Amino acid sequence: MTDPKKKQFGLRHRLIIWIASPMLVVFVISVLVDFRLARETIDAAYDHSLADAALDIASHIKASGAEPQLSLSPEAEEMLRSDAFDTIYFSVASADGRFLAGDKNLPLHPAEYLGQTSFANDQYLGQAIRVAVLRTKSGGDLIDVTVAETIKKREIASRTILTAMVIPSVALILAALGIIYFGVRRGLSPLIDIEDEIARRSPRDLRPLDLGNAPKEIHPMLHRLNELFGLLRDSAIAQERFLADAAHQLRTPLAGLQTQVELAAQSELFHDDPERLVRIEQATERLRHLIRQLLLFARTEPSTAAAQTFQKLALDRLAEDSANIFIDRALAKNIDLGYEISSVGVEGISWMLREALDNLIDNAIKYTPSGGVITVRCGNRDDHPFLSVEDSGPGIPLAERDKVFGRFYRISETEAEGCGLGLAIVKEIAELHGVEIRLGDSELGGLAISLHFPSGGGQIRQ
Amino acid sequence: MRILVVEDDSLVAAGIKQGLDNAGFTTDLIGNAEAAEVFLQEEIFDLAVVDIGLPKADGLTFVRNLRARGLTLPVLFLTARDSMEDTIAGLDVGADDYMIKPFRLPELVARIRALIRRSNALASTELRHDGLIMNVASNTATLDGEPLELTRREWSILEILLMASPQVVSKDKLVQMLAGWDKDITPNAIEVHISRLRNKLAKGDIEIRTVRGIGYRIDLTRS
Repeated sequence: MTDPKKKQFGLRHRLIIWIASPMLVVFVISVLVDFRLARETIDAAYDHSLADAALDIASHIKASGAEPQLSLSPEAEEMLRSDAFDTIYFSVASADGRFLAGDKNLPLHPAEYLGQTSFANDQYLGQAIRVAVLRTKSGGDLIDVTVAETIKKREIASRTILTAMVIPSVALILAALGIIYFGVRRGLSPLIDIEDEIARRSPRDLRPLDLGNAPKEIHPMLHRLNELFGLLRDSAIAQERFLADAAHQLRTPLAGLQTQVELAAQSELFHDDPERLVRIEQATERLRHLIRQLLLFARTEPSTAAAQTFQKLALDRLAEDSANIFIDRALAKNIDLGYEISSVGVEGISWMLREALDNLIDNAIKYTPSGGVITVRCGNRDDHPFLSVEDSGPGIPLAERDKVFGRFYRISETEAEGCGLGLAIVKEIAELHGVEIRLGDSELGGLAISLHFPSGGGQIRQ
Repeated sequence: MRILVVEDDSLVAAGIKQGLDNAGFTTDLIGNAEAAEVFLQEEIFDLAVVDIGLPKADGLTFVRNLRARGLTLPVLFLTARDSMEDTIAGLDVGADDYMIKPFRLPELVARIRALIRRSNALASTELRHDGLIMNVASNTATLDGEPLELTRREWSILEILLMASPQVVSKDKLVQMLAGWDKDITPNAIEVHISRLRNKLAKGDIEIRTVRGIGYRIDLTRS
């Protein structure tokens, strides 16, 4: 069996991954782009005031004598250099690099065109600086006015923008992921329901899937699936019908054979070799049992059985009736077959539950050695009706417990005669009734096998 | 006791005849329903064993006709089909019991005996079971020819068990059936009566077996 959980996860996971990962990428790119744009705007604003300072300085350059002179009053210079966060530097130099005024060692970035301000990033006194260079003209000389500032306030601004942008973005991403997760879950739930229904089905359950709740996109797929189910069902029905017909046809000659064997037992025919008669009787009995079980197996097939309706029935009455069938066999084997039954009702198909119980008691009698004890119980346990058969036989080894419900499976090294269909039939009937089968150890020393009904009585799965 | 067997399969029919003859019955074999109807008009039988799957008119129709003519003899159906519907149909047309092929001869014989016992009790007011005779009309019982003294409650319990034999009768059912004239009867009281009945039957061939957790059944004493 494939794990149905794993299958559902695959579908959901895939959708979530395919929606969430591109979305995450888009989110990250968008945050990055926004951040860059914001930084550029801020940079441009700060650059603008730097350029203003350069223009201001340029206005104080006087072309007096051989060399242009900067006539900046100490108050004006102080105002120029004053800034809450950053240190401001400036220098005035000729276009060919001759220092005229200001901070002498400030790196020069010669501008290219007259009247234009260009910007650059550099280092000064071990600190990152932003540099604005204005090329101006004083008399006949081309002069570069350089103004620079450290980048503290730009960094503070970036950090503020980053915080202001990242926190809501992360929240948005998380919210989007949550919405995708639940949206996908919710949107896929009809699909997952169908997957569940298919996974829950027994391999013999070939009834068509109900399209009612399925999203219309998968209707074509479900139609094909139902067609396939239909084909499989037809062939299964043909096969089961053949089985049933064959078994019916076998019954009458077998009845003849069995009576003849029994008559032979009454006569003196096998006087010399009674063992031979016992062997013939055993073979006939096995054949009778096998044919009966094959027929029963065909009749409990879900597509045949689904036509039957559930009715309220008393488990205790069912158990009581079984005594009539089994008390003689139990006595013949000197087994104490007893009942501990209290009144309890379930919904189900009476003859099927009876067959299930008969099969359990039949097994118990087969496998319990002479002188043993078998107890049939029914009642309510934890608000759930149950029916159980316990014996003092050898039990079923743990390793074989999950295998015993397979068709034609026989427990290794057992001497008892059986066809290996009994528990497969019980399982089929249990599944149809939504009944859970539990195998355990009995206080009597052998196997305890119990059927646990759903609390509201069984329901045929639609 | 004369039994009519309506069965078209000659092997099965021969087996049944031999088995019933061995059990002390007189058996007549008929292969189809049409001939059986004629036969039943001319002869008297204590019971009919009828196969449902007969060649022309099937066993269900045969028994329906037979009941329509007012014949009350017990009928036991034999069938190769075991679906619930078939068996219900069988009992609906007026059969008294049914067995699914293949069956065991001893069980067939036991069921036939039970059917005849019940039908005789109705007709002749006498219940017989291996040495025990209860005359319902005179309220006298004998065990192996010896008179058997029974109280009213013991009588009722034994009668119920005999009528039901070989079926198990649950203690609850005994309480219910006795409650009609004996409102105070309890399951414990029934145990006491059963125990006394056992003592009284100890000399005979039948015993009352306890089925643990359910009730009682009449059995032949095992040697």
